[in-house]
Amino acid sequence: MTPILQAEGLSRYFGAVHAAEDITITVQPGEVVGLLGPNGAGKTTILRMIAGILAPDTGRVLIDGIDMAAEPLAAKEKIGFHSGDTQLYQRLNAREALEYFGRLYGVEESQLQKRIDALIAQLEMESFAERPCGTLSSGQKQRANIARAFLHEPDLLILDEPTNALDVVSGQFIVEAIRREKADGRAVLFSTHIMGEAEYLCDRIALLHKGRLVDQGTLGDLLERSGCANLTDAFLKTIGVRRTGEAA
Amino acid sequence: MRLAIVWIILRKELLEALRDRRTIFMMIGLPILLYPLLMIGMSRLQEGQEAAQTARASRVAVWGELPAELEARLVKPGKMELLRWAGAPRGIREGLEGKRYDAPPAPPFDYEADDKPPKPPKLPDADWARAAQQAVLNREADAVVVLWPRFEERMKSGGKAVASILYDSVRPESRKARDRVSDQLRIYRIDLQHERERQRGLPAGFVAGIEIQSNNVASEQRKSGMFVGMLLPYMLVLFSAMSGFYAAIDMTAGEKERGTMQTLLCAPVEALEIISGKFLAVWTIAMIATVVNLLSLAMTFTRLKLLPGMEVSVPLSSYLVAFLMLIPISLMVNAVFLAVGAFAKDFKDGQNFLTPILMSLLVPLMATMTPGIELNGYLAFVPVANIALMVKGLFLGEWAADMLFLVLLSSMCYASIALVFAAHVFERNSVLLGGKEALGSIFDFGRRPGSRPTPGMSLLVFAAALVLAFYGSLSLVRFGLPVMLAVTQYGLFLAPVLLVIYLKGYDFTDTLNLRGLSWRGVAGSVLIGVSAWTVVGGLLVRLLPPPESLQKAMERLLLLDEKPAPMWEMWLLVAITPALCEESLFRGLIMSGFRRLGKWPAILATGLLFGLAHASIYRLLPTLALGVMIGYAVWKTRSIVAGIICHALNNGLMGTLARSRDVIDQLGLSGQKYVPWAIIAGGAVVLAAGLWLLSLEREDQSPAAA
Repeated sequence: MTPILQAEGLSRYFGAVHAAEDITITVQPGEVVGLLGPNGAGKTTILRMIAGILAPDTGRVLIDGIDMAAEPLAAKEKIGFHSGDTQLYQRLNAREALEYFGRLYGVEESQLQKRIDALIAQLEMESFAERPCGTLSSGQKQRANIARAFLHEPDLLILDEPTNALDVVSGQFIVEAIRREKADGRAVLFSTHIMGEAEYLCDRIALLHKGRLVDQGTLGDLLERSGCANLTDAFLKTIGVRRTGEAA
Repeated sequence: MRLAIVWIILRKELLEALRDRRTIFMMIGLPILLYPLLMIGMSRLQEGQEAAQTARASRVAVWGELPAELEARLVKPGKMELLRWAGAPRGIREGLEGKRYDAPPAPPFDYEADDKPPKPPKLPDADWARAAQQAVLNREADAVVVLWPRFEERMKSGGKAVASILYDSVRPESRKARDRVSDQLRIYRIDLQHERERQRGLPAGFVAGIEIQSNNVASEQRKSGMFVGMLLPYMLVLFSAMSGFYAAIDMTAGEKERGTMQTLLCAPVEALEIISGKFLAVWTIAMIATVVNLLSLAMTFTRLKLLPGMEVSVPLSSYLVAFLMLIPISLMVNAVFLAVGAFAKDFKDGQNFLTPILMSLLVPLMATMTPGIELNGYLAFVPVANIALMVKGLFLGEWAADMLFLVLLSSMCYASIALVFAAHVFERNSVLLGGKEALGSIFDFGRRPGSRPTPGMSLLVFAAALVLAFYGSLSLVRFGLPVMLAVTQYGLFLAPVLLVIYLKGYDFTDTLNLRGLSWRGVAGSVLIGVSAWTVVGGLLVRLLPPPESLQKAMERLLLLDEKPAPMWEMWLLVAITPALCEESLFRGLIMSGFRRLGKWPAILATGLLFGLAHASIYRLLPTLALGVMIGYAVWKTRSIVAGIICHALNNGLMGTLARSRDVIDQLGLSGQKYVPWAIIAGGAVVLAAGLWLLSLEREDQSPAAA
């Protein structure tokens, strides 16, 4: 079976800063893979390279076998990208924003409204779908943004800290939405620094530190290799950080 | 590039922009308010002030002996209140009454003075002058008239009486007082001259000697055009640019600030589609603003016609051509706005980046305000100033078709450069995402060995080569035609082509079509080369006959100066050199860039640029037609040699004919304005044969040709 994502040897340098170095990740259809790392570990850079927003200095990205560098449009059509810090157009309402992106992704006009209505119902956006995005709360904006990423029914969802800066209720809403997509057989690659989310959602987890992939595998693999009881400890041990009060 | 995607982006950007109050105000509100407020308001204010000045009686201090007749003349119009000795210090009054003062000497008449009439002399360094100055400045009177001792006596005895008027040019009421006093004194002087001539039995006009009558030959359009020509380009260009200003920042820096840029970048759209959609949206807004500006201006001027003394006569056609002229400037300015705006990280940053660009427009716009600066060959290629001066010329009713063509051509060149630059910036995602290496990355022109030129690169090279060649040839003209031709062709056409191919890593053979020719290709090219001039010169020149000055310039070019140069020199510089250099540029690099558009779009676009490069509206059609035929020859043969043969033979034959009187006589061309029909018919047959031979060539279907 062709992996939906094959990222091989991705590196990206910003001057002297090595934001990502020799990253190789594979995601199979229907699989949820989490990128786990502290702030500045290179999660956003890696996801941007995979989504085709940023060109890697070395390495290549294949989406369902399509080379992102050679055929960026065909590859991007298969991706739904969402970042926790992205917004929607302030002076468009949520429905207009969805219509706009639906057209850009080539969703048939006859299907577009049905799909938007379904997403509005699924993500419980009825009360604010006609309001300008600039007037929405953070949670409402994230829901609209998630709807935008799901709209064209992509094979691969790339979500960069989707619950970032959200309250517990809104965050949980997004987590459940991801879980539903997984249940529908969609592959998801998402970054987070919330261990609970990773434990709850991921089939496999990749641990990042200072732009390098330090370990990856199922939750069980990671715990077994680290000899720790939970993901937080396993992560801290892998990146060489001791918990406060722990003996050297 | 998918036009449907561009349309989706354009529609969304316009929808958003039209929901932004700032953009709406700059686009519609400001122009509607500004011109009426500025022009009608100012004229009303001026009118009101004028009326108030006219109604008010001037308070004039009179120092010295005032003859009864002069007093009567001064007070007769009822607009002057005479204040005897007002503000005069005791010592000055006693000095004048005691005739201890002498009138100051008249200033020497400066025959060379630029100011006619000459400026009033500086205030004399004397106690009476300082006292009068104080009296005026202290508002004791609007003006002081000093009638020097023996004023009346001198008038009556045939001598020269002297009066000094001291006034404050800054105060309107003081200027009014000066005008009223000097008007009455002038009338009094003329009456006095007539009286003296009558008393002495002298013929009328004896004293005056010469009467000067000057008449203004300026039409109403010129008079009002002068007024609006100074202001209009300034306002139209500035407000058209300003309306795009906020929209451009909003669509670039604003998107970055709101975090929507990366959402757009991860969608399956090309950078060129994004920049095209955004650019068209900004440009549409700027053009709507331009139309609203012109409408508001036209309506304001119509309203001004109702005001006395403020008639502005501007024909409708001037507004229409002014609109046409503002299209390229708007293209250029808004492309630069978008490209530079992309570097800003937020809206405030965007304002900081773009304000200097907006301000920099003021410098070339000053050209319209500066007396004596008129549109010429040099200025026709100076961005912004050329359009401003052309618009001014339009409002003065003075413009030439050839100059209009040059201005439009050069402005479109700059607009193309700006657009390609904007597309180049938008292709760098790191710029749009605001990475640290953002600025540096735009100087990375990405040498990719084996890559092919793009249509954008073709436009960029054309625009840059044309501007370079234009200024290059103007600055080289003093070295004579041979040097100018050689340097322009090899240095400014061929060298940049080779440099770009090397820097971008294009394949030299593929880009320049460096391939051999079959016998059919050679024969077809020769037939086109020897016959094209008959059809091109014979038919198309009849559609738009060139003026005599252009015909003479062409003849001079073909002769390589006033006197014919040796034949070999003409063939080298007029035939072979342009054939090598211009073909490398047009049918080489430029047509290779357009190749991906398909056969006929590539041939026609290259032909059009070739025609435009000849920088004259009268030469456009013939050179365009020639360019299309040469383009066809090169496309069919995939060989630049075909183009070189056509071009060299065409130019060489024209040059040979220009210096061969015998041949001209034998062909019956002597004294003919146009090529005779018989020769056109013969040439058309040969040309058709050449094209037919080329049509038999098998087109290269390999991927390299696509």
